[in-house]
Amino acid sequence: MSYFFQLVVSGIVVGSIYALSALGFVLIYKSSRVLNLAHGQIIASGAFITYALTVWVGIPIVISFLLSMGITFFLAMSVERVFLRRLIGEPIISVIMVTIGLMSIIDGLIYMTPFGAGNFSFPEFLPKTPVALWGVSISWTQLVGVIITFIMIGGFTWFFKASTVGISMRAVSDDQFASMSIGISVPKVFGLAWAAAGLSAAAAGGILGNITGLNFYVLHSFGIIVFPVVIVGGLDSIFGAVVAGIIMGLIQQFAAGYLDGNWGLYGTADVLPYIILLIILLFKPHGLFGIHEIERV
Amino acid sequence: MKNKQITIMLVALSFLLILGFSTQVLAGETYKMGMSVDITGATSDIGNPYSKGAEDYVKYVNDEKLLGNDKLVLFIRDDAYKTETTKRNFEDFLDEDIVLYQNYSTGSTLALRQDFDEEKIPTITASFHAGNLENCNYLFLPIASYSSQAVGLAEYVVANHKGSNKIKVAMFLHPSAFGRGPLGDVKKAIDIGLPIELVEVVEHGKDLDNTAMLKRFQSKGVQYVISQTVQPPVATMLKGAQSLGMAASTYGEAGKITFLGCHYAGGPDLIGLAGSAAEGFYWTTSYKLMTAKGPGTDAQLALAKRYGRDDKLANSQNYTNGIMVIQVAVEAIRRVKAKSIKVNRANLFEELQAMNGYNAFYPLTTVGPVSFSKTDREGVDTLQLYVAKGGVFHELGAPFVSEYVQKLKK
Repeated sequence: MSYFFQLVVSGIVVGSIYALSALGFVLIYKSSRVLNLAHGQIIASGAFITYALTVWVGIPIVISFLLSMGITFFLAMSVERVFLRRLIGEPIISVIMVTIGLMSIIDGLIYMTPFGAGNFSFPEFLPKTPVALWGVSISWTQLVGVIITFIMIGGFTWFFKASTVGISMRAVSDDQFASMSIGISVPKVFGLAWAAAGLSAAAAGGILGNITGLNFYVLHSFGIIVFPVVIVGGLDSIFGAVVAGIIMGLIQQFAAGYLDGNWGLYGTADVLPYIILLIILLFKPHGLFGIHEIERV
Repeated sequence: MKNKQITIMLVALSFLLILGFSTQVLAGETYKMGMSVDITGATSDIGNPYSKGAEDYVKYVNDEKLLGNDKLVLFIRDDAYKTETTKRNFEDFLDEDIVLYQNYSTGSTLALRQDFDEEKIPTITASFHAGNLENCNYLFLPIASYSSQAVGLAEYVVANHKGSNKIKVAMFLHPSAFGRGPLGDVKKAIDIGLPIELVEVVEHGKDLDNTAMLKRFQSKGVQYVISQTVQPPVATMLKGAQSLGMAASTYGEAGKITFLGCHYAGGPDLIGLAGSAAEGFYWTTSYKLMTAKGPGTDAQLALAKRYGRDDKLANSQNYTNGIMVIQVAVEAIRRVKAKSIKVNRANLFEELQAMNGYNAFYPLTTVGPVSFSKTDREGVDTLQLYVAKGGVFHELGAPFVSEYVQKLKK
């Protein structure tokens, strides 16, 4: 039975990190209907900034982690200001193409640094002995990662539900023209959405970097790996990202734990999430919690 | 008077011809080589230092005039680990009349090997996949193949296993020809008597957590895991094993797992990624590591310093790898020149195949000599085992040649 619970715990850990990584997609899509394909690169940038501040500048890792979230907050906001603001009102496909260009630019910039072609790891600051309870183990890195994930997701949920700015962002997402007519600055909302996505990406990067080590390819690949999570959860639902993340994490762990190695099956953990994605989309084309808009003409 | 003028003109003309000819002789020949390598792709952490090793050694050859007045030119192009880009690079290099070519990934080597034969161009590849050599005569692996490395590791497991229980091994492979390459040979070695039980063969994905796999291994009594992949997935697995308390603290510790890996699965970069979780990881390669002090490693550090490289790069085994493939090429050119015959593809091919026995090449960057022949195009047969201790890979025992690999080759 402890094997089952171990898989459950690991699934929740992996799933919550997927959810945090997916959060950036959701935040931008929720307010601007744009799919930011450079999100993986921002995740990697956040991790590298944390490393640079910790190892090269000598700042304690916890402060570096917070600082990197602040830095990516402003970096992402600047990216929106420089590259995307002038595209407000343009077709969505143009904006998505810009994010593809952005992906190449960030790739190029990172390849100019030692992080482009090197492997690094954060200094170990948490106990190496895992937390073990009833035969179930979880490493401190994973535990801290899950706690940060839930704090951030809880914070963003509150922000969108209760704060004035968050409600303004939801209003812009619903109807840009109506929002402008009541005095909401749409460009500011877009900037803030990108900034919040940058902040969450840095947090995801820091946690991922602690788990996998710092390798640019591995980190930026997460932007794509979490894509099924975003789609299953619903592109505009934070709660959806959490639920879908955990579902995906559990499916992967159970597939690896019970299917792989039996009946000649291997690699089911990689394939199964996509099969589930297709089945869910068949019945719920907007994802589990995505908003299905009905337009009256 | 007219005859005198003609004579003077002829003398002047002869003088100019001689001057022109001697200038050409003084300038020497230029030998062009091409290298397609992943500098900005999925394995740039390997390809980037590899390309820099090659680049620096070419500079060194020219600066120190190791080929006399002749000049070596190496065109290095990034293929970002994409076969179609590699093919385009290779075709561009052919237009430049290269005499030797260096390829990188397993996928592109397998895709282009017929082209190497058609163009009759000797090619040295950074992929040590034994399958590359099938149906291709012009390809040379600089060191022992992944198959030789994996079988060598399995042999080490058998030789050093404590206890009388059945030795249960799992293989952790990259989901590609690069990863699967050694599996067939490990199975063949088992068939001819290598006493291990291959319990599971796992082709990894982009896993964030290997708990399920590691627990499964443990439940099946797996005591050793041999990895043939790149460092990031191994690092994630090692971190997982550390957090679950499943990593052996001493070699072959009962009830725990001892991790081992082939060339690209380990090395200093693995410690860079996995930190303390890499402690006790056993790794094999034919290259000398910077921790194994000697003339070769001193020369490598000096080379890196001379061309302004940082410590991390200077100590990378992939930098060594890049230097070594150019060393082999330069040695072949030098031997062709010594015979006073033209340095071209055909003569370099013949010279590489004659690099054996007394003519084997000792580059000092490897743990054994480079030897090729018409029937064996795997360069260094010798392997060295290293173990990660205190954040550094240390030599473990003397270099060895796998007994079962020799049996399989017969």
